[in-house]
Amino acid sequence: MKTVNFYFSTKLTFDDYIHDHSFALRIIPPETENQHILSCSLNISPYISTKQTIDAFGNNVTSGYIKDDHRFLDFEIKGYDEIDSEKHRTDFMPCYLYQSEYTTPDKDIIKFYLQNKDKCNSSNIAERTAFFSDLLSEIIEYKKDVTNTKTTASEAFALKQGVCQDFSHILLSILRLDRIPCRYIAGLAFCDGETHSWIEYWTGEHWEGFDPANNCPVNDDYLIISQGRDFRDCAIDRGIMFGRYTKQLQLVRSVLS
Amino acid sequence: MSAEINNNQFTQAVGSADEINELLRRYGVKFGIYKNGTFKEQFFPFDPIPRVITAQDFISIEKGLVQRVNALNEFLFDIYHEKKIVKDGIIPEDFIYISSGYLAQCEGITPKNKIYSHISGIDLVQAKNGEWYILEDNLRIPSGASYPLIARELTRIACSDAFTENKVVDNRNYAQLLKDTMDNANCGGIRAILTPGRYNAAYFEHSYLAELTDSVLVQNDELFVEDNILYHKTYSGGKTRIGVLYRRIADEYLDPLNFLPESLIGIPNLMEAYRSVNVGIINAPGNGVADDKGIYYFVPKMIKYYLGEEPILKNAPTYLPFYSEDRKYVLDNLDKLVIKDVAEAGGYGVVFGNELSKEKLSEFKETIIAEPRRFIAQEVIDFLDLPILDNGETVMRKADLRAFVLSGKETKVWASGLTRFSRNPNSFVVNSSQGGGFKDTWVLSR
Repeated sequence: MKTVNFYFSTKLTFDDYIHDHSFALRIIPPETENQHILSCSLNISPYISTKQTIDAFGNNVTSGYIKDDHRFLDFEIKGYDEIDSEKHRTDFMPCYLYQSEYTTPDKDIIKFYLQNKDKCNSSNIAERTAFFSDLLSEIIEYKKDVTNTKTTASEAFALKQGVCQDFSHILLSILRLDRIPCRYIAGLAFCDGETHSWIEYWTGEHWEGFDPANNCPVNDDYLIISQGRDFRDCAIDRGIMFGRYTKQLQLVRSVLS
Repeated sequence: MSAEINNNQFTQAVGSADEINELLRRYGVKFGIYKNGTFKEQFFPFDPIPRVITAQDFISIEKGLVQRVNALNEFLFDIYHEKKIVKDGIIPEDFIYISSGYLAQCEGITPKNKIYSHISGIDLVQAKNGEWYILEDNLRIPSGASYPLIARELTRIACSDAFTENKVVDNRNYAQLLKDTMDNANCGGIRAILTPGRYNAAYFEHSYLAELTDSVLVQNDELFVEDNILYHKTYSGGKTRIGVLYRRIADEYLDPLNFLPESLIGIPNLMEAYRSVNVGIINAPGNGVADDKGIYYFVPKMIKYYLGEEPILKNAPTYLPFYSEDRKYVLDNLDKLVIKDVAEAGGYGVVFGNELSKEKLSEFKETIIAEPRRFIAQEVIDFLDLPILDNGETVMRKADLRAFVLSGKETKVWASGLTRFSRNPNSFVVNSSQGGGFKDTWVLSR
């Protein structure tokens, strides 16, 4: 068990006024069996009223609407919590067994899976997950700026390069081919200066975390912010706005200490 | 033609067909279709000879439809909550989660009064032996109720005493039924009908139903969600709360922050307002999991499971290649069956085995073996032909019936419906998107 401080902020700036701006943030860490939120505060500027809901996947959703002209949206969250990766979560949904938008495999991923599935002679789910992650860490290179938030598992697999989000999507795709239910996690980790992504697989009784980008099981150094079938369900901020802006600049800072 | 219809009056109604089609044109009763990538608006041809359903027949259809829609609503609640029907092994899990109509984002949402399908369009056909069969359930955005309504109204104008002598149940109550259904789903606020705009195939219907139910007809740019409440922007710059939204756009476009991010016709954060039960959405998002062609097979089982009753209306005999026993039958009898691709709608993806060449048949068998979950196979029902007028001559054509079932405080069947017919003498496909026409449906009051 570990007590950690977390801080995350985003500054969105536009080069012209925008209006009728609706947004949905998945940024408040959920209270779960293995993370106990001791304190948490969210600040949004410009000041507007927001509402909280919990979505189908158990994420805290903060939604808001800014009608009048504005040129920026800043939000920051900070707090501290206790993480205990020895405790286990059990919030299962059957849809996690099925491929989703980002994970649907193309024929190359299927071929890769079929060529390798029997090389792991264990039927133990933890061992199979570690086996597939090992394989990926050999053939996929961690590299920034070659993929983006729209890159699917198949696209990243073809590139053989990507960041944590891509590693997660490819591993999810392969585990689902192996009939192992698994989900995407967005969060903060000690090893990373930005938001991080990893996966959880279902053992049959509970969820276990695994970090394919670092090819290791997760421990108390990981704070979950959101979860779902893939990145689509977990996006930390999403918005729709109107105006004549041409550019949008986003600055992100995150710390887990 | 039923003997109970007064022949003189009927002839008079037929005589005014041209006049009614002219009135329909003037009213702008159109049906838009996409053909070869371009949008074309065409008149939905009206045939003046009504389909007549006897009072006795209607009573049993009515009971069967109420039973079916009640079971489908129970199913939707179950699937988005406990999933007992899957746990109890009645429906294999794959059929739920591979269905494109299943929306994980709707898990755990309970709409007001637990009603998911407020307006159900159930397609039936009558076989030559008189028995009615269910062909398809439409629980997303079933369209077409406005056509028999307006045709009836225009017939009344063109031929004023057709209904004084014939004992036909008045179908004008659809307006009240729909209004009551909307009010039952209302979470506090005005009624609104959301249209994607005038280039939509059913725009005529959207505006007509808005007028009938005293709802505002809106497009997405007039709406916004603030504090999880859906508002309509008023001309003076103010806002009016919407309590129930009868949306005529598909689930995936409904809320760009929850579904397709590129949707330009949706309302951001509508799902948050809906989840908070601050607005009713007609029909509920996620209903597609219940009207999937693969799930259709299981509806009679749902009726037994949820209601403990025997199904009153039969499905057309259906096989699922997913089950090895059914697959064998389908592959052995493909030339006699009709095969439907579960992902397609509107009469697309329907193949009649007897129309395929030998090579195509064996090609198709390969496809079924490779993707068994993608298809259902049905026996071809030899359904009753109905008379239609073709250049002054009466000819017989295939026709189906879309019955409208409205679930408000109670589940009610509208005593009318849309009869669609194929204009092609050899075709069994009657969808309006395939160029068919329509008839009014008369339910006799005794």
